[in-house]
Amino acid sequence: MTSLLRRRARADTATTSVITMVDAGLTYPNGKVALADVNVTIPAGDFVFLVGPSGAGKSTFIRLLIRELVATHGRVQVAGRDLGRLRRGQVPGLRRRIGIVFQDFRLLPNKTVWENVGFALEVTGAPSGLIRQRVPQLLSLVGLQEHANHLPTQLSGGEQQRTAIARALVHDPAILIADEPTGNLDPVTSWEIIQLLIQINELGTTVLMATHNQEIVNAMRRRVLALEGGTLVRDEAGAAYEREY
Amino acid sequence: MGFVTGFLRFCGFSVVRAWQGFWRNAMMSLAATATVILMLVLLSGLFIVLTGLNSGIEFIERKVGVTAELVDDLSDERLQTLIERAEALDGVTDVAYISPDQAMRRLEEAFAQRGQTLSTGGANIQLQATLEITLAEPAFADEVSLALAGDGAVSKVITKQEEIDTLVGVINVIRTVGLVAIGLIGLTVLFMIVNTIRIAVYSRSNEIEIMRLVGASDSFIRWPFILEGILCGLIGAVVAVIAVSVVWDPIQPILVSVFQMPTAVSARNLASLSALLFAVGVGIGAVGSWISVRSYLSAAA
Repeated sequence: MTSLLRRRARADTATTSVITMVDAGLTYPNGKVALADVNVTIPAGDFVFLVGPSGAGKSTFIRLLIRELVATHGRVQVAGRDLGRLRRGQVPGLRRRIGIVFQDFRLLPNKTVWENVGFALEVTGAPSGLIRQRVPQLLSLVGLQEHANHLPTQLSGGEQQRTAIARALVHDPAILIADEPTGNLDPVTSWEIIQLLIQINELGTTVLMATHNQEIVNAMRRRVLALEGGTLVRDEAGAAYEREY
Repeated sequence: MGFVTGFLRFCGFSVVRAWQGFWRNAMMSLAATATVILMLVLLSGLFIVLTGLNSGIEFIERKVGVTAELVDDLSDERLQTLIERAEALDGVTDVAYISPDQAMRRLEEAFAQRGQTLSTGGANIQLQATLEITLAEPAFADEVSLALAGDGAVSKVITKQEEIDTLVGVINVIRTVGLVAIGLIGLTVLFMIVNTIRIAVYSRSNEIEIMRLVGASDSFIRWPFILEGILCGLIGAVVAVIAVSVVWDPIQPILVSVFQMPTAVSARNLASLSALLFAVGVGIGAVGSWISVRSYLSAAA
């Protein structure tokens, strides 16, 4: 897995962006603007924070990227695919290029750590040989080899989030989207998860992390996209959570 | 080769998940299966009765042509002329003269077959002589009876058309009532399967959401549920076929006794009925689960 990520890192950084939004937005039929005319380009290998208060449009932004929603205007391009022109049958292919983790982990409670990660491969038709090869690699990457046979209820919050991250990486995605991944975790565990995301980013995967955690954003000093009322109000490299000027 | 192994993996995945899903939601699945069994058993009953009655009709139509009752004291010469005339009619394949004595012997034999003895109480009964006319096709019956009715040597022409018409009427009523009943039960079964699969889908909505997010295609999400519905229909069909096979032989004499005619239903019909039961069971399972999954996935898309 590590070698795969490194190989992709070299190839992708030589190419174009993995996420491009051009005047992209979403207006609901009742006229409510969820996201207005966003222009963003995220190159391969970047680590980007998406910040903003509740209702600012972060979820809409993410749902547009994974094509749960379709922009009503403008263009959204992810991993080389124009999402406005994507047919329904092509959406699964897009989602295999995007890994996603959530605040509430969304693990299957009746499956072990190993099965939760393997499930993501199994349901996309991966051969069992590949699953047996890939799952231990991913559990090793996130440091959960010893917990492979544990159920989610037997894990701490941080371990559950690591499981979710391993699952998100099964298809070796170009982008990892983390929606409030530390929202349910204590500060120490939150930093462990951030360290893991940094490690994954250094291996070549673009990371987009939506968060309310000012401490992490301020300490990391990475690119920050700030949304307010559905509008992108700030796109700043090496930035803090709040505007500093 | 890659496509084949991929398809086999998909089939294996879907079948295993359908089987797991069936037993995870066992109470609802078994209830749906029970309604399938009920419907298929009723369908079998209707099939057996209708097939039996149809074979009875065929038997009667094959055996019966036209019977002409003759006037008394007919001369041999006149009788011979009448026979020749009947034989010349279109559609007539055989004409047999039954004398009054032969008719009486037949009557006595019919009584003897029922274990009774014909008693006339000392009276001298004279039955009428008849001509029994066999036809190539039952359709010639009207034409032949019309031709003979005008002959002075014939007192009455009897065809079994009326009897057949009555029987066809009975069959139509049974068929209509049976089909309506089965249709209503079929709707109930469909409703049960739709709800069973809907509950299964909702109980696994988290799993479905994860499948979608990690890039599972609609087929991987949809087919395990459809196969789960098919499994309800298939198990129902297997039980119904076993039940029908067990009662197949014992039921034949009962049918003859009830309908008072040779309602023989051959083993070939059992094979046809089994195929019908499997087709209906699997079909209704597939349709019900398809409706359920389609509406859910469309709403979630």
